[in-house]
Amino acid sequence: MGCSTPRFRLGPLVLLATVSLPAAAVRGDPVAPPPGRKLSFNEHIRPILSENCFACHGPDGGKRQAGLRLDTHEAATTELESGMRAIVPQDVAASEILARVVSDDPDVAMPPPSAKLGRLTTEQVATLRRWIAEGAEYQPHWAFLPPPKPTVDDLSSGLDAIVARKLADRGLAPQSEATRAALIRRASFDITGLPPTPEEVAAFVADTAPDAYEKLLDRLLASPRYGERMAADWLDLARYADSYGFQVDRPRPTMWPWRDWVIKSFNENLPWDQFAVWQVAGDLLPDATAEQRLATAFNRLHQQESEGGSVEEEYRVTYVNDRVTTFGTAFLGLTLECCRCHDHKFDPLSQRDFYSLFAFFDDIDEAGLYSYFTDATPTPKMRLLNGGAADALTKAEESCTAAAAALIAAEEAAVGGVADWLAGKAPKPAAVAARSAGTIPGELARYAFDGSFANGVAGGPAASSPAENTFVAGRDGQAIRLTGDHPVNVPAGNFRRSHPFTVAAWIRPAGRSERAVVFHRSRAWTDAASRGYELLVVDGHLRWSLIHFWPGDAASVRMQEPLPIDRWVHVAVTSDGSGTAAGLGIFVDGHLVATSVVHDNLSRDITGGGGDTITIGERFRDHGFKDGLVDDFRVFDRQLSPLEIRELVEPGPLAAAVAGNGDAERLGGYVAAALDETAAGRRKALEDIRRSRDDLAERPTEIMVMRESPAPKTAFVLERGEYDKRREAVGPGTPAALPPLPADAPRNRLGLARWLVDPEHPLLARVTVNRVWQGLFGTGLVTSPEDLGSQAPRPEYPELLDLLAWKFSHPVADGGLGWDMKSLVKAIMRSRTYRQRSVADAKTMADDPLNTWLARGPRHRLPAEMIRDGALAACGLLVEKIGGPPVKTYDMPDSFKPEQAGSGESLYRRSVYTYWRRTGPGPMLEVFDVPSRVVCVAHRDTTNTPLHAFVLLNGQQFVEAARVLAERLLADQEADARPPLERAFERLTSRPADDREREILRTMHGGQLDWYRAHPEDAARLVTVGQTRRVESLPAVEVAATAAVINALLNYDGCVVKQ
Amino acid sequence: MNDLSRGCTGPQTVVDRRQWLGTFGMGLGGIALADLLGREVTAAPASPPLPAVPRGGAIDAFHVPPRAKRVIYLFQSGGPSQLDLFDHKPLLKERDGEQLPASVRGEQRLTGMSGNQSSIPLVGSPFPFARHGESGVWVSSLLPHTASIADRLCFIHSMHTPSINHGPGVTFMQSGSQIPGRPSIGAWLDYGLGRLQDDLPAFVVLITKNKGGQPLMSHLWGAGFLPTKHQAVRFRSGADPVLYVNNPPGVSIASRRQALDGLRQLHEHQFAGAPDAAIQARIANYEMAFRMQSSVPEVTDFSDEPAHVLDAYGPGARDPGTFAANCLLARRLAERGVRFIQLYHQDWDHHGGLRGGIAGECRQTDQPSAALVKDLADRGMLDDTLIVWGGEFGRTNYCQGLYKPGQDFGRDHHPRCFTLWMAGGGVKPGVTWGETCEFGYNIASDPVHVHDFHATMLHLLGIDHERLTYKFQGRRYRLTDVHGKVVEGILA
Repeated sequence: MGCSTPRFRLGPLVLLATVSLPAAAVRGDPVAPPPGRKLSFNEHIRPILSENCFACHGPDGGKRQAGLRLDTHEAATTELESGMRAIVPQDVAASEILARVVSDDPDVAMPPPSAKLGRLTTEQVATLRRWIAEGAEYQPHWAFLPPPKPTVDDLSSGLDAIVARKLADRGLAPQSEATRAALIRRASFDITGLPPTPEEVAAFVADTAPDAYEKLLDRLLASPRYGERMAADWLDLARYADSYGFQVDRPRPTMWPWRDWVIKSFNENLPWDQFAVWQVAGDLLPDATAEQRLATAFNRLHQQESEGGSVEEEYRVTYVNDRVTTFGTAFLGLTLECCRCHDHKFDPLSQRDFYSLFAFFDDIDEAGLYSYFTDATPTPKMRLLNGGAADALTKAEESCTAAAAALIAAEEAAVGGVADWLAGKAPKPAAVAARSAGTIPGELARYAFDGSFANGVAGGPAASSPAENTFVAGRDGQAIRLTGDHPVNVPAGNFRRSHPFTVAAWIRPAGRSERAVVFHRSRAWTDAASRGYELLVVDGHLRWSLIHFWPGDAASVRMQEPLPIDRWVHVAVTSDGSGTAAGLGIFVDGHLVATSVVHDNLSRDITGGGGDTITIGERFRDHGFKDGLVDDFRVFDRQLSPLEIRELVEPGPLAAAVAGNGDAERLGGYVAAALDETAAGRRKALEDIRRSRDDLAERPTEIMVMRESPAPKTAFVLERGEYDKRREAVGPGTPAALPPLPADAPRNRLGLARWLVDPEHPLLARVTVNRVWQGLFGTGLVTSPEDLGSQAPRPEYPELLDLLAWKFSHPVADGGLGWDMKSLVKAIMRSRTYRQRSVADAKTMADDPLNTWLARGPRHRLPAEMIRDGALAACGLLVEKIGGPPVKTYDMPDSFKPEQAGSGESLYRRSVYTYWRRTGPGPMLEVFDVPSRVVCVAHRDTTNTPLHAFVLLNGQQFVEAARVLAERLLADQEADARPPLERAFERLTSRPADDREREILRTMHGGQLDWYRAHPEDAARLVTVGQTRRVESLPAVEVAATAAVINALLNYDGCVVKQ
Repeated sequence: MNDLSRGCTGPQTVVDRRQWLGTFGMGLGGIALADLLGREVTAAPASPPLPAVPRGGAIDAFHVPPRAKRVIYLFQSGGPSQLDLFDHKPLLKERDGEQLPASVRGEQRLTGMSGNQSSIPLVGSPFPFARHGESGVWVSSLLPHTASIADRLCFIHSMHTPSINHGPGVTFMQSGSQIPGRPSIGAWLDYGLGRLQDDLPAFVVLITKNKGGQPLMSHLWGAGFLPTKHQAVRFRSGADPVLYVNNPPGVSIASRRQALDGLRQLHEHQFAGAPDAAIQARIANYEMAFRMQSSVPEVTDFSDEPAHVLDAYGPGARDPGTFAANCLLARRLAERGVRFIQLYHQDWDHHGGLRGGIAGECRQTDQPSAALVKDLADRGMLDDTLIVWGGEFGRTNYCQGLYKPGQDFGRDHHPRCFTLWMAGGGVKPGVTWGETCEFGYNIASDPVHVHDFHATMLHLLGIDHERLTYKFQGRRYRLTDVHGKVVEGILA
């Protein structure tokens, strides 16, 4: 910032041409108090130091220059290595900082020329000098101190008193109250996002009761439209969208129930602390309800990637970062993003603080990439079940349990029968007698790889492989040697999760593998979230898994001992059809080995993702079984018993056991599993019942939510924020500059959430009331709602922010509002400050264009949703229906990612329901500054561009709306004799036209009528724009002329501006 | 343009409108509230002799003497293979099929696509290379037209980027960050320099139609945290080049003019009672919109282009939405003072079937790209127009997937080196900058990071990349983050 150049310039010259703005007013530099009153560090000094010095002499230890730190009193006044002191309280001459900021010597001057910050202004230097002379007192940043308990009881009048006092300091007074018509229009938009009807305006204007306005507010706050209006702002913060984002940006069709929950929560006035706790940690609440778990979808609304070849961990870290920064912006008003890579330059937030917060948000079974080849909902997730479906699923589970118990009884009976026979208490069971040869039923495929891919099972299909996989000497005859890049395709194995099966082979690894695919039945690894089943070597251990979506919807076990690598090993893996980790077995050399559970949360089927047959040794974009040897590969259509598996290793034990002189211990299991008919029948029944249960489980919509994984992850500080540069481990914790986590608070998101909503927390209430204020006045009390840190512009009314924050967050019993959002909105809107007319004298308007002084009521362009919804409402087209899947509006075909437009009521729903694709949001909304919802946004631009004119004048939605209103007014002329355009004006602006306006409207209408009379073919075309059928009984020329004027009125300042 | 309005309303109104526009200087952007929030911060004043920035820019005066007024960026999305177009590596031919030596590969991370391959065989380009022009630059046979203007181009062989995948890679090239959400280059320029004209947007995006390949995302030309008025306007190839620029059925220019006159009177009346500058901005914007309704169709209508010009751009020039037609449209937009024209051509992502694939993309882009350079030179505009041609990263010297000598093959993403060319606008012509190793895998000399490329581009436009900043979330942001060095060696 230069001495001679204002650091701030108005982009367009319009204001410079008409007014001159005092630099301080625009910059927000506070005026120094008169002598006698001390300067305040937070108000006068911190902005100067933060802007010019902290980048090199602030909290970031990594970049600190000359060992000097100016953000704390102790450090700033300490003697440096050079022997100098930057600040010597009360000693202006000894304070090196003053010499530096005025020096012309480029080697000495601060900020240095290389920083390209320019020089301090004369006023700033004088302010620093005075502060040092006054004793150089420091204060913690104001936003990190809890707001003080206010002395006033009534929020509205307390608010007005603060404003009136400060206005008086400026020689100003509040404006008079806005007209009744203006007031109801303003209040209706602010609470419901819609204009009042002419009838509502008339009733309010006529209601002279002293509590008329109070009643109006109550009526509006009770409207279900309130939730829809308030939700829109929250959706920007929550980066809610109907697509995954990033490059591929596939539609994500099932997140909208969370959006509906937000609307419902506002309408039911869920206390704000609960609103926050549920979203941050609803899943961790004791006996969490479905709704509380659903609320945590907030943490999963970030973008997700599926671009082929992306590094999974890189994106997983990106997602957790997004959760942390969104938490920071939405609830703390802090820019945590900075500390991802280094300590914060301006705020006392360290990189370690960032990763301590990170540790709260990364303990979920999440994949860094969503599945490209399937439409599986990324985990963790929850089912959305209506009552009937939930009951049916519960019943199905109960049936499965009962059928499983019946099978166990039959198997136990069979085992008992064998035991009795062996003990001589009973004759040889008939099933055993009939199978005296000791066979293994259910074999589908057997490949000996002896120079061919022939199937050893009679009539079974052959395997196949590219020639790169070669036959080499094997354990028995020949084996196949795998390159790792070429598959051996086995045409079998498309088992569902309820189907018991076994796969076995002799394998010889070439060495220890960090990761190698021995065999699998799936389409791909990350690109399909591994849907199917797979036997891998991971870090030298076998891992056997059934998977719907890795890692959060899978059953997986891992062999505890490492896989031997220097010899042939016989491996058999089994699944018992239960779809649980307990139902998975790994046998090595014929023995069941000890395993650990990796995941045990399989909830859906493992088929349907493509790759329907087994592949050995290779997988798409995965690590193959490079140089591994495989021999005698066998697939069985059932879960083999341990005895059968020993038979696979070395033939013989089965026949011996059946003859009564072999492995007696395991014979019972073989009989129960392979021979006993009762057990076989019940096994078949169990599988059938499980399959129906599986079919039911495939149906419900699923939504991504938070669910802690059973084993917590360890978080690390990541050097420069890079996912693969792990440094020291960190546990969950809150930033050191903020209040500490209570000692007894759980170190998880619930502990974090409760810490956040403590009424003494300095940030949550301030951040929230500031945004509510922004929603009503167009500009927050702090004009940077995303940042209340030390770089935030100093608010004009800090005490007002504190008053609102204290009241909002404290219990009713203590005189607060107990986090009651509707009461907060009402209290602000009851104030005289809010009710002022929106126009002040020209000088005040020009001196304070953002209205931070509050010398007048709010006046700003309506946000995109209100412009569209307001036009639809005023023209009688709005469909008032709450919730449901997103709808596609007229302009979808013009989106960057074109989609077909919807039809019928889809075209006339409120904009909060408009389908939101991040890489191509609705064009109409985009022109009016909606964010793409790629990241958390706390503030929208309010531009004023010619592109608005195209949308409102030529867009189908608005052309049709104008025509429909024209038809209504013309059809209605008998009931209301006033000229239709005057009535249109009233509908659109909520006030009657004055004489001059009536005259303009008459001229406009006359001109249009002349035109369309001369060009009736044009009239016929204009009145058929849009899907709403035209009213044939009305003359097209008259409708077109009226519609053309209404169309222009939809562009009128009085229509698109809230005032 | 104005003739239309004059015809409808008489000269007096036109003067009135001109007064409005003159007085208020409204560009396309109008007033954004953010302008008033004190978020925009300009850097310190520059030394006196530098010319002032024309109008509405955040910087008062150029930081360095500007060499280019405007940019046409021919973005080749997907990552064209530098080894088959520009970066001639005979060694790869000699060692075709041999494994990439581990010493060359180093610790470099590979994509998930080829990173798990157990073999990575080198593959030489099947396309012959030759030296061209007086500068003797190597260009492959795929680009005869580009080769013919080699002496006008500046090739950078030593570009590198941190990104190994398309989404982050394109985002990084276009905004200096791999994560979406930062302003794009064009938005920075519009913010910093304001506009050169008032009848068209300052930042226009043109995308080759009917292309597959890696998807593009609208944030690539977005304004990020800058006021949304700085984002690009995308011209479409259909009937409405700008969203809803045409009147709806049944509304004529004359009837619209009459309605707008009424609307203006309402606004003037409103302003008399409420002295809000936004009303004045609104009045100006509706006039600008009316003018755009003429200027946009005018610029997109090629009927005044002589046949030899259309022929020079190639057969596609007569088919709106092709790369050739977009190149010609870019020239027309540049002539009319559009500051930043961003073309996108997709489908260079040749993981497999590279031979046929790359030849097809070259057929679509080679002639129009060269024609654009020549056309601008013929019109005396090349000196102050910077043209850039390139993608988001390069491709590997080894084969992705299984390689059989003599058969078609693919190359994976390669961020460690790639080629980009520039022309005009203060860049040395006929120059090759930077070198890769004989394997074409690592940079051997003069590396140019994407941040350096951005710094250089801003420098050519008269901006010190460290001084064009915008304060957001309490921090000063810039296109080059905290990096970037101007590549002095390529400045003319």
